[in-house]
Amino acid sequence: MPDEVSAVRQSIRELLREQHGGDRFVSTVSDSESLRQAGMSSNALVALLVAMEDAFGFEWDDDVHPEALRSIESLADHVVALRG
Amino acid sequence: MASYEELSRLDMTYHDDVPRIPTREGVELYYESRGEGTAVTLLNTFFLPVPAWRVYTEELDQHYRVVSFDLCNHGHSSKVEEEPTWEEHAADLIALLDALEIESTYLIGLSTSTVFARDVALRYPDRVKGLVLTGPAFGPRGMRRQRQIQRAWLRTLESHGLEGLYEHLYPEVFSAEMNEAIGAPGFLGFRESFSALATVEEMTNGLKRAMQDKSSPEMLAGIQAPTLVVVGDDDFLLSPTGAKELAALFPDGACEIIPKAGHIPFIDDPEGFQAIVRKFVEEVESRA
Repeated sequence: MPDEVSAVRQSIRELLREQHGGDRFVSTVSDSESLRQAGMSSNALVALLVAMEDAFGFEWDDDVHPEALRSIESLADHVVALRG
Repeated sequence: MASYEELSRLDMTYHDDVPRIPTREGVELYYESRGEGTAVTLLNTFFLPVPAWRVYTEELDQHYRVVSFDLCNHGHSSKVEEEPTWEEHAADLIALLDALEIESTYLIGLSTSTVFARDVALRYPDRVKGLVLTGPAFGPRGMRRQRQIQRAWLRTLESHGLEGLYEHLYPEVFSAEMNEAIGAPGFLGFRESFSALATVEEMTNGLKRAMQDKSSPEMLAGIQAPTLVVVGDDDFLLSPTGAKELAALFPDGACEIIPKAGHIPFIDDPEGFQAIVRKFVEEVESRA
């Protein structure tokens, strides 16, 4: 796995730790696991998306496919793809 | 500007410890009851199950007994083979009120369920103390526009699934104010919860059932209960002018307009909406 993807995943985990129940959630959810199925509410997802805009310096677009929001892995891939 | 703070506190989980209320053969309803005093009963649409109301009735809970329930075939209530008619939903509601020992109640209908509220008031006038019709699904002359919109939503649902339906109805149902305030993160994040609200089958059946609804000025003239029409002035379905004309068709009707609010005005202004309901209930109660 490229270092950039790994670093973004780690940053997303940090944001989740700050916003969604500390270590408890982050320590149990895998990179590829569905965040919703792991128990994350849509409100928590909204908060994460807002935090990602600040952390990674981009703005979400309405056209983003639901699959991109599915997991830590897919979120990180989206960020890296935006960077080109 | 509205903060939409309540949206961030939405908790769509159900309570496991609430016993279901049997209403008719094969049907048990999930319900919640909070607070004490005069009963105020919330009527769900096919899109908004019981948990969605909680953060928007916190003030009402302090003053009244607020009852909410999932319609048969929706949310956590019983599933039956055929989508119930409003008549059957009304029978379920009356059985629920009986079980909760509520002699009469105020009804708060929203969008599609304003038809339900109207029909309960016509069929069981002794059980209804007053009606709050929020973002009514019918206008002063009828509901052709509503049916056309529901047909378009249904076609989108059939061809593009829940995600497509969400994208179709989001800019229609929610106000411009909310759309700008919560931006793309809000749009994307709540798309996730929308797909968890109901199944394609539940929404399809609900929309098909709602498309059979009818309205006429004559029906409204038969409603004796005091009736309050509440709309946001950014409601895509019924304009403030139309809402005032609609209210005038009820023998005891009034109208309140919430600035910058959309089709579900309590999302935009929970405090203002609950204040309007309280003012209405207190005014009607003071007549007794």
